[in-house]
Amino acid sequence: MSCGHPHAVACVQIHSWMWIYLDDELEPESAHEVVHHLEECPPCADAFSAEIIIRTRIRQSRETVQTPEGLYTRIFTQIQQTISDE
Amino acid sequence: MSSIGLEPSAVGSAAMSTEIKQDAAARFERDVAPFLQSLYGGALRMTRNPTDAEDLVQEALLKAFAAFGSFTEGTNLKAWLFRILTNTYINQYRKKQRAPLQTSADELTDSQLNEAGENLGMRSAEAEAMAKLADGEIVDALAALPDDFRMAVYLVDIEGFSYKEAAEIMDTPVGTVMSRLSRGRKQLRELLREYATERGFIPSEVTA
Repeated sequence: MSCGHPHAVACVQIHSWMWIYLDDELEPESAHEVVHHLEECPPCADAFSAEIIIRTRIRQSRETVQTPEGLYTRIFTQIQQTISDE
Repeated sequence: MSSIGLEPSAVGSAAMSTEIKQDAAARFERDVAPFLQSLYGGALRMTRNPTDAEDLVQEALLKAFAAFGSFTEGTNLKAWLFRILTNTYINQYRKKQRAPLQTSADELTDSQLNEAGENLGMRSAEAEAMAKLADGEIVDALAALPDDFRMAVYLVDIEGFSYKEAAEIMDTPVGTVMSRLSRGRKQLRELLREYATERGFIPSEVTA
């Protein structure tokens, strides 16, 4: 996974930062190096695109979870009961 | 209250405290209701069973209500609720399930992290093929991860918590969250790649 060109920061280093960068948890200085690297390295830029596609898809999968009918009422009724029981 | 016809001085302390509790319950319901779906989703990913998930949410929210006085308003309520949910799960359900703890070899060395980075090189064409998988297949793949890895991936990738928040929820150092996340994500992507290959979205010779 390298374009064969020399970079200020090696592709391997950029890859090890990929998740932290995409999680918005990388320190600004390193994040700046990532941005600069991606501008000049198409293979790394493609790997980052791939990761963005996958994580977006994984996050979308949560939408299918349906809260069971009646759970809301059951919980808040029980909380009301704990008050009147005292 | 005035319709009852009591002077304020005639209201007994027991009645007052019930009134305060009613207010607290109303406030709790108002503040917590928006997170119910997230909490149920989280419980479902933890227990992998709808009945246990309902019981877990119910138990966690009763605990949360009892402890609501200790919650500082203006701080992160969602993280606070998830922490109670996670603790309840660990204390009750995980013991029951006797799932093995993934604490050994939890910390990754830098070289292992670099190695993980190096192996990661996924191409966008491959990712697009993997993204064609149905929601249910993605949920199944996530459910197949070891407990602690699944929790880290769930909290950060699905619920959008920061590393620090996830660390507080799981009561572990941030470094542990990062290594669990790294391993969990890697396994999840391997599974998704397998599923996509089985479904014929990725030609099998390309994945080698």
